[in-house]
Amino acid sequence: MSYAVVVGVTVTIYCLLTLGLNVIAGYAGQPHLGQAAFFGLGAYVAAILATRYGLPFWLDLPAALVLTGLVGVLLGAISLRLREDFLAITTIGLNFVMVAIFQYVPFFGGAMGITDVPLPSLGSYTFDNSAFLVVGLLMVCAVALFSAYLERTWFGAVLAAIKDDEVAAAAIGISVPVYKIAAFALGTATAGAAGSLYAHFMSVVTPASFSFSESVVLLSMLVFGGLGTIRGALLGAVVLGVMPEVFRFVSDYRMLLYGVLLLLMVRFQPAGLLGEGSWLHALLRRRRLERGGLGRAAA
Amino acid sequence: MPLLEVEGVTVRFRGLTAVEDVSFQVEEGEFVAIIGPNGAGKTTLFNVIAGSQRPSRGRVRLGGRIITGLSPAEVSRLGVGRTFQIARPFGSLTVRENILLAAGREQLGRAWASLRLRHHDRAAARATELLLRRTGLEAVAEKRASELNVGELRRLEIARAMAGRPRLLLLDEPAAGLGVDGILPLRGIIGDLRGQGVTVLLVEHHVGFALSLADRVVVLDQGRVIAVGLPDQIRRDPRVIRAYLGEEEQELEPAPAPPAGEAPGPREGGRAEGVGGLA
Amino acid sequence: MLLANLVEGMTIGSLYALMALGLSLVYGILRVLDIANAGAYTLGAYVGVLTWRLTSSWWLALLAGAAVASGLGWLLQRHLYVPILASGPIVPLIASIGVFTALEEAYRLLFGPYILKLPARIPLPTVRIAGTVVSGVQLLVLMVAVAAFAGIALLLDRTRTGLAWRATAQDRETAEAMGIDVGAVTGRIFLLGYALAAAAGVLVAIHYNAVSPTMGDMPAYKMLAIIVLGGLGSPFGTVAASLLIGLVETFVAAYVGFLLPRDAIAFAALILILLLRPQGLFARGVAAR
Repeated sequence: MSYAVVVGVTVTIYCLLTLGLNVIAGYAGQPHLGQAAFFGLGAYVAAILATRYGLPFWLDLPAALVLTGLVGVLLGAISLRLREDFLAITTIGLNFVMVAIFQYVPFFGGAMGITDVPLPSLGSYTFDNSAFLVVGLLMVCAVALFSAYLERTWFGAVLAAIKDDEVAAAAIGISVPVYKIAAFALGTATAGAAGSLYAHFMSVVTPASFSFSESVVLLSMLVFGGLGTIRGALLGAVVLGVMPEVFRFVSDYRMLLYGVLLLLMVRFQPAGLLGEGSWLHALLRRRRLERGGLGRAAA
Repeated sequence: MPLLEVEGVTVRFRGLTAVEDVSFQVEEGEFVAIIGPNGAGKTTLFNVIAGSQRPSRGRVRLGGRIITGLSPAEVSRLGVGRTFQIARPFGSLTVRENILLAAGREQLGRAWASLRLRHHDRAAARATELLLRRTGLEAVAEKRASELNVGELRRLEIARAMAGRPRLLLLDEPAAGLGVDGILPLRGIIGDLRGQGVTVLLVEHHVGFALSLADRVVVLDQGRVIAVGLPDQIRRDPRVIRAYLGEEEQELEPAPAPPAGEAPGPREGGRAEGVGGLA
Repeated sequence: MLLANLVEGMTIGSLYALMALGLSLVYGILRVLDIANAGAYTLGAYVGVLTWRLTSSWWLALLAGAAVASGLGWLLQRHLYVPILASGPIVPLIASIGVFTALEEAYRLLFGPYILKLPARIPLPTVRIAGTVVSGVQLLVLMVAVAAFAGIALLLDRTRTGLAWRATAQDRETAEAMGIDVGAVTGRIFLLGYALAAAAGVLVAIHYNAVSPTMGDMPAYKMLAIIVLGGLGSPFGTVAASLLIGLVETFVAAYVGFLLPRDAIAFAALILILLLRPQGLFARGVAAR
């Protein structure tokens, strides 16, 4: 049971990260291959605030969110100057540089990272794993609902327009830079919040946990589930997050699996499993229509 | 005061002069066409007005205010709507959403306002429905824009540009690549704009189409203005005929233009013949 | 000391250039940033080790590595990149990351996670210049690199094949309309690009006497930084950027010490330079569309 809870918390963290990535890469269509770096930044900010300044979880979480989001604004500003493939490389580079900074700047504790991040508490109650799961699920719900709201706002349509055609977006008066930066800020801030949860849950933060290959894992999850959809982000995080835990033999082949999935999905099912136009989504929709049709016939 | 003033605009690309010292004005409510053979600098000039090309010299004023140096988005927000020669729809959005987004422009300028729900904006929704009807796109309103055919895309371009309620509408070769069946409805739609008091600047390679719609015509050749006048004058202007003859071995036959809004003659529809369409 | 660093910097820079050149040719022809190219580098090294064990011949190892990797390159362009080309530059990039990740894992599963040795002796004399030793391996690397650069320069500038390549890189559709077999051109460029990467892999394996599944990790992404710095698609710029990064890394490691680990230098430089010159360091107008 408790092991399942641990897996559950891990999966909620993955969900937060893919939902955040989805705002940047899915909604706004900006290549972002460095989400793990922002996850790490959030984790380090929270860990440092908690261990050195005694801030409680409830305060270091928003601090990590805001600070990470601010660095995201910086990346968004950089993105304005670069073509999309240059931007992709820059986000990769950012991931490497950020991990190098965590590892080599003494402030971040070097290769050993930061240890003894305290468990959060609520009054006299100290968190156990189930409490982490509850908080994690609440956070996932909040972010998912906010994403769903975003999709229905002007903001959501603007991001779609920017993804489709920046020149046309500018021609109808959209300030492309403002919205791109906003997308980066939101997506990375979510990663920062996830980082805070992670830091307190693991109680240890090390540079190795935020390497570029983690960014690849996150991207695989999103591409697997369906870029640009909330259901896709969640499905990818849950399926690919749980699989190595449930099937022990998978965990040895974990990265092989992610790599192969990534290339197969991109090659044959670019919309992801649940994206618009994917075979599974089409199948589910047909089912629903058929059932709806029958229901009406019966009535 | 004229709505649009182009003053001595010159554009050079690495020694190549695309537009040289071009000046003209467009009055409020006027319909002006810029015509000229291929490579005359029409599109470059158009891009200068829309803010996507910075001129090497000269400036553009809108309602007296200098707009050179502003970004395309800023120019758009000051009231210049534009279409693209090769349609640039938001392919993943539906036709209705394409227009709605442009109609909701007040919400897009300010970051916080853009966090409102789209369907709460009744005014934008009404404007969208009206434009869908006017451009005959109601039937495809729920289709994704990426699924439209060329004629529908061209009409979507116009609807989207109109949705921002522009003071000045820039049309970039709306007839390009269309057959007769595409040009007919398009002509009707553009002719209707005149009735709505919209100021239009049309860039067109298709001379017959342009002359039949415009109040006034500016002729460009090799980056320079070679003639300005009423459509009838332009049709008879020897310099214009020479400019076109230099490009293609075609007779330029003067013929009376059908009044705006009326169906054009059958030969006007042909695009491939170039100037031949000027019957 | 200074001279020794210079030689080592040039050696590393030449190895980078061998890898980056293939990547930049591929980018030129398909506009795809092909991370999987570094998978060919590791593949070359492993094939090299196996060949050396069988034949004890360093040049057979080099040839075999290049040949096998070429095959991989050809397969990838034919069955992965060309079919998804229409979906923009990012989709193939993601696919190539997938390929690279899978390849690295496959090497680990096939050959184990440990370091294999390739102690080939190079029949070249150790040269002393002004008290600095230039080892046979370093000499070999420099010679192979110079030969490769000269060969590619001649190929691109002086031959009909090179003309067809440049035409295809310039404008795929027009080249096709002019009767160039664009598919075949793409295939050949991948053959060459992956062979170059594999050659670099074998040379690195000999230079450091070590082959491991993750040896391609750093080159994979560092090469991207280098070809962007080099202005993407410009062979001259790519070689210049490679040598520059090789030298800077070596000298920073030798004189400045830690500050940043040597492998982060290329990226730090990349980010900095992209901010100042978004079109790349050596880009000429046309290359940076």
